[in-house]
Amino acid sequence: MMKSMQEWIVLLVIFGIVSLLGNWVGYGTFPVGAIPGMVILILVSLVGMIMQKLIPIDIPSIAYVAIVGVLISMPWMPGSEQIVAMTSSINLLALTTPILAYAGIAIGRSWTDFVKLGWRTIVVASFVMIGTFLGSAIIAEVVLRMQGII
Amino acid sequence: MSEVSKNLWKDWRLHALVFGIVLVTEWIGTHEFSVGPGVILLLPMLYAIIIGLALFFTPVVKEKQSKNAEPLIVLGVTLLIAKIGVIIGPSLPQIIEAGPALLLQEFGNLGTIFLALPIAVFLGLKRESIGMTHSVAREPNVGLIMNNYGFNSPEGRGVMAIYIFGTVFGAVFMGLISGFLATISPLHPLSFAMASGIGSGSMMAAASGSLVAAFPSMETEILAFAGASNLLSLSTGLYMSIFIGLPLTEKLYNVLTARRDKKSHVKTGRGA
Repeated sequence: MMKSMQEWIVLLVIFGIVSLLGNWVGYGTFPVGAIPGMVILILVSLVGMIMQKLIPIDIPSIAYVAIVGVLISMPWMPGSEQIVAMTSSINLLALTTPILAYAGIAIGRSWTDFVKLGWRTIVVASFVMIGTFLGSAIIAEVVLRMQGII
Repeated sequence: MSEVSKNLWKDWRLHALVFGIVLVTEWIGTHEFSVGPGVILLLPMLYAIIIGLALFFTPVVKEKQSKNAEPLIVLGVTLLIAKIGVIIGPSLPQIIEAGPALLLQEFGNLGTIFLALPIAVFLGLKRESIGMTHSVAREPNVGLIMNNYGFNSPEGRGVMAIYIFGTVFGAVFMGLISGFLATISPLHPLSFAMASGIGSGSMMAAASGSLVAAFPSMETEILAFAGASNLLSLSTGLYMSIFIGLPLTEKLYNVLTARRDKKSHVKTGRGA
């Protein structure tokens, strides 16, 4: 546990530095000012992952991470305004770019499997994704309208 | 994230490559172009996945980097979820208000069965189509199909095919179509935000990212709703598939193939 925690921390810091510099180049936020926000996000991730290890229920760690993030930023939580202000300097898309860069390098190995799939699979897969996306959007639209939210 | 004791942080080549990719793609920035009434957004993250993939086929990336990159995706998604958590927090009152819509749109995932299964059957796919179209085929669904039918079954091959497509192209595909569909259709951006939560961190990020780029004034709401919906999908998606999705796919498959068999029997004259 201690060993893997050290590894997590070092990797999260590497990830954080890359994201902060991407955040600077892409969204014009100078990294120094965004450091506190990044530190908060790294701590939230760590607390969530540690909870997953300590609590003997089989729930993925991202569920804990999300709960911790929501709890510390709820309006009725003391200090939440500062947390929201600090983390808002980290652009969400600046975090996704490094994820997808790692993903691109990783999926190279699945590429040959992908090429073997054949065109019918690609057609079906496209409709699988469009189906779930449009289906969900249509239901959401109907219910949100009935509730008068949109 | 599993026990990592391989000292992944020491893979300086991998981190340097990602760093380079991030700087280049963020520097290129977001570009958009119109296709009819819709807008297609090209975002840095989309170039990042393509450049990463292309680099895999150069000597710069070795097998080791590709293997090491996998757990790092999970770690990155953890950080992304932390960010989404602090976006959801302040919007919690709003999300609670929209709760029913958020819960009910989970049924929208069944849209995949009604849209994609007839197409799969029409293209002549057999029982593969059950694995292919019962869900969006993320990890829990692959597990479910393997558990019910086995790894070496037509259903198992089907689910793996969609899983691989989703892994390779899911984020790019969702990133491209979400902005486009949201700009051409009369549906509200918030409805699409909820629909972005399909149960995959990278697809949700890509889909909602495109929405934010298309509707920048609604950024916080879009990200909060997409994030909440994604968490809901992650926690309920498997049960949705077990109790509704998969049985429904089986039923619909039997109906569709019964009709197809009848037709082909008539054609070949064996029906009588």
